[in-house]
Amino acid sequence: MSVSRAADVVVVGAGLAGLTAADALVTAGRDVVVLEARDRVGGRLVNHDLGDGLVAEAGGQFVGPTQNQVLGLAAELGVATFPTYAAGDSVYVHGGRARRFGGDIPPDPLALPGLGLAMARMNRLARTIPLEEPWTARHARRWDGTTFATWLRRVTAGTGGLDLVDVFLGSAYGATAAEASLLFSLHYIAGMGDEHTPGTIDRGIAVAGGAQELRFHGGSQLLAVRLARRLDGRVVLGAPVRAVEQDGRSVTVRSDAGAWTARHVVLAVPPVLAARVSWSPRLPPQQEALFGRLAFGALAKCEAVYDEPFWRADGLNGQGVFRAGSTVCSMFDNSPPGDGPGVLMGFLGGRQWRAWAGRPARHRRGAVLRAFAQVAGRRALRPREYFEQDWTAEPWTLGGPTAAAAPGVLTALGPWRDRPFGRVHFAGAEHADYWNGYMDGAVRSGRDTARAVLAAAD
Amino acid sequence: MPLTEVSETAVLAVPVARVWEVIDATDRYAEWVVGVLEVTDHHGAATVGRTYSERNRTVGPLTTRSTWTVERIDPPRRRVDTGTGFAPMHDMTNVFELEPVQVDGGEGTRFTYTVRYRPGLGPVGRLIDRLQRPGLRRSFQASMRNLEDLIVAEGPAETA
Ligand SMILES: Cc1cc2nc3c(=O)[nH]c(=O)nc-3n(C[C@H](O)[C@H](O)[C@H](O)COP(=O)(O)OP(=O)(O)OC[C@H]3O[C@@H](n4cnc5c(N)ncnc54)[C@H](O)[C@@H]3O)c2cc1C
Repeated sequence: MSVSRAADVVVVGAGLAGLTAADALVTAGRDVVVLEARDRVGGRLVNHDLGDGLVAEAGGQFVGPTQNQVLGLAAELGVATFPTYAAGDSVYVHGGRARRFGGDIPPDPLALPGLGLAMARMNRLARTIPLEEPWTARHARRWDGTTFATWLRRVTAGTGGLDLVDVFLGSAYGATAAEASLLFSLHYIAGMGDEHTPGTIDRGIAVAGGAQELRFHGGSQLLAVRLARRLDGRVVLGAPVRAVEQDGRSVTVRSDAGAWTARHVVLAVPPVLAARVSWSPRLPPQQEALFGRLAFGALAKCEAVYDEPFWRADGLNGQGVFRAGSTVCSMFDNSPPGDGPGVLMGFLGGRQWRAWAGRPARHRRGAVLRAFAQVAGRRALRPREYFEQDWTAEPWTLGGPTAAAAPGVLTALGPWRDRPFGRVHFAGAEHADYWNGYMDGAVRSGRDTARAVLAAAD
Repeated sequence: MPLTEVSETAVLAVPVARVWEVIDATDRYAEWVVGVLEVTDHHGAATVGRTYSERNRTVGPLTTRSTWTVERIDPPRRRVDTGTGFAPMHDMTNVFELEPVQVDGGEGTRFTYTVRYRPGLGPVGRLIDRLQRPGLRRSFQASMRNLEDLIVAEGPAETA
């Protein structure tokens, strides 16, 4: 067995959370090494190269108001933002018919009144959730015993409201409202804000004034690349961690690139992958059970590249909302800023992913481009390039974009989410209360975890 | 009762071989045939004597379940299937015919989409039948456009 190297802190995972934690620990004078399984940094953030120095994001990408942690980090790293293209009409596709509309809420006269009331109610209930301990909410047991879908069916007439919430959840959970607990969903909504601004579902859904408002120049992965550069050789790529062994004095982390012994470990990997590490002693069974249950949804991004964003000349912003039955759930103009190529990006999330992921790549491409054509016109059928990023096929992510807890999980196991296990601390977007599952949550969690490590007695 | 025949032709800017490949797949009709909501049972590449089943839209929100039997295959030119489940229409036959043509200097396909059936319900049925024929024609044209779009969108073979 090889001799293990030493560090004050080993950070496992070079996603936004791990890198942020490492950066804070280095700033505080700790000797840090970051072990990353992949041969790149960024985790769920990855840029697709369009040539000529241009990129389109194939993982997490949008940021917006109240996401001050990630926006602050970007400013510090010199990564500028630009607005998501939103000038002109969006298109609502329902029952094979496409209709233009302005704003964020599609023109569905049967669904809209109920949906509006349901959203107001969600926001009101979300405000009653204690963000750090949602399982202590007054109706926690009842709400955690109910799916979000059951509740939506109860408070709206017909299926329109549920269908439209599912459009959002397709990309937000990679799952449907039927798969998530109401309590989890209210907590998720409550976190779509910051210490001064209560979370609302409206902010989660919106482009202007919401979570899809801005993108990063150079693509979101640039945040991770710049953080890694600042870590100056402390990131070891191609180092999947297989085992974590600890006694009262130190922790040894065994990876394919060797072993490291440290005083503390920050495990900044998706919860399911944390549960799969070989633990000695064993992870507390409740924590193992919780991490196993925080499996990610299913999400792929499908993107088509054109010589120019031709839809803009038709007064379209490239945004599409597809009610149940379509190939993608929603789509966006994902063009790089400036006069370069046009890019359309569609989410294959949850139900749509299940319908299409197993089909031949060519059939899927055809179906996705036909969905794009319903929004942007028939020119969308002939891209100069088409690519997909299926996050469920990524062994170091196993789905996306995040985990939505099923009924019963939060009340039974929630308190175990962020509890350190001996000298091992957990970080990641799924360990955040504000913007849980988002880049902002990852940065916040990275910073909080670094503080906890620094505060822990050596 | 006499047979009704509804037939539409369209020229598609995609090669016969690709058109044949898609129409030959008994699991793919919901992707391009207007009114097919779902293929509920299929046998992959069409085989004479074997069947596939669909859920079809009829009027408004109403649906029906149909089963088709593959009767004849003359690759890559002609396919004949017979179907049940469209009462009051019966003795339903569906024919796809393909013919290579040039389109803008490239390979194209003249596609003829034909359905034959007996309307049923006597004079009332014949009246309904007359009323529904223009809709059928439109749906055949739309289906053939869908097929062309699908093949264009899937791109040349090497991008698969
Ligand atoms: C398709 C998609 C779209 C999204 N859209 C948005 C969006 O628009 N806005 C937004 O804010 N968020 C979005 N997200 C979510 C966002 O990307 C994540 O919340 C964020 O990037 C998570 O960062 P993280 O560091 O917590 O985890 P990750 O990025 O998952 O990082 C974990 C790292 O750990 C590594 N790792 C795993 N196991 C091991 C191991 N055993 N040993 C060593 N290394 C290991 C992984 O390789 C990875 O690099 C999206 C996500 C996806 C997938």
